[in-house]
Amino acid sequence: MAQLGAQELAVGTFQKHLLSRKQKKAKLKRVMVAGLTLTSMVDMFSLLVIFLLQTFSTSPELMVTKGVTLPAAISARELEDSPVLALTTDEVYLDQKLVGKVSALLSDPSPLMGRLNDLREQWQRSHPSQKFTGIISLQADKDVPSTTVSMFLGVLPTATYSTVQLAVVSRGGS
Amino acid sequence: MGGMGPAASSGRKRSLDAEVNLVPFIDLLSMCICFLLMTAVWMELGSVNIKQTMGTEAPQENNRQSELSLKYVNAQTLELGLKQNGATKNYTVAGPTNELRLKQLHETIRSLAGVLSFNSTQDLKSQFSQSISSAHITTKAGVSYGELVSVMDVFRDEGILNLGLVPVKE
Repeated sequence: MAQLGAQELAVGTFQKHLLSRKQKKAKLKRVMVAGLTLTSMVDMFSLLVIFLLQTFSTSPELMVTKGVTLPAAISARELEDSPVLALTTDEVYLDQKLVGKVSALLSDPSPLMGRLNDLREQWQRSHPSQKFTGIISLQADKDVPSTTVSMFLGVLPTATYSTVQLAVVSRGGS
Repeated sequence: MGGMGPAASSGRKRSLDAEVNLVPFIDLLSMCICFLLMTAVWMELGSVNIKQTMGTEAPQENNRQSELSLKYVNAQTLELGLKQNGATKNYTVAGPTNELRLKQLHETIRSLAGVLSFNSTQDLKSQFSQSISSAHITTKAGVSYGELVSVMDVFRDEGILNLGLVPVKE
């Protein structure tokens, strides 16, 4: 009797197992059948494309040096592609490469002058038939003392960079 | 016996709704989104151009008579000078905050229209750009670069585009 009872119990669990397998299969089938609503996705894609096309700009993207917060200006013009001199509160970078400390370069600007002259010669070698434009971009942090900026700007004409583009964040003009 | 006329409709009615294959359309949109996201410029940078003529470059020849100079007397006070026919007239711009000083500077520059005897019917900006040859700014210790750029922005906003910065030691 006890053996029979055990058999019945085993059959019961097997039936339960089969039932759960059936249910699982049914669930799987349901997942396979479910359709994907494409309309909302296409709508979203179209909106994204329209937004990105509206904000598309052909002006060259210049990297802003880490640690530099640019000031804002209303009357900003489009930036031209040129070498970038960046001034943080304590360091000077030329085309993303460290030139030296601000205090050291103010007392002896020859390393900066050397790098600027190298850049000019490089440009002249690659554009032999053109006259050197002498344009340079200056990215300086808005909290840097203006006297420091003016000192560096004083150095630039001696390396024949006479037009300085002060990089700013455009605020949208009046 | 299939004949002409309505008997032709005995078959299945052809659906009028054309099915559009969305897969290439979604592919194209995805490619567009990828391209635009990769080429997007998230921060719009601009420039305020200045000409440095202290070094090897000689100042540009011009037949315009008037020149402006702006000098920081201290961090809160500015002195705007108008040089015309050899004589210089100074105007003081002062205020506790940078915003107030900028507003006052705007008004002072506009008031120069009377001194320079501008035509009131014409655009002030174009008249300023024609009659003022350059503006030189002399800064002072205690003035931040952000404040200096905001002052240059005022000049450019009024049509005075040829700006220079005088090198000053700290």
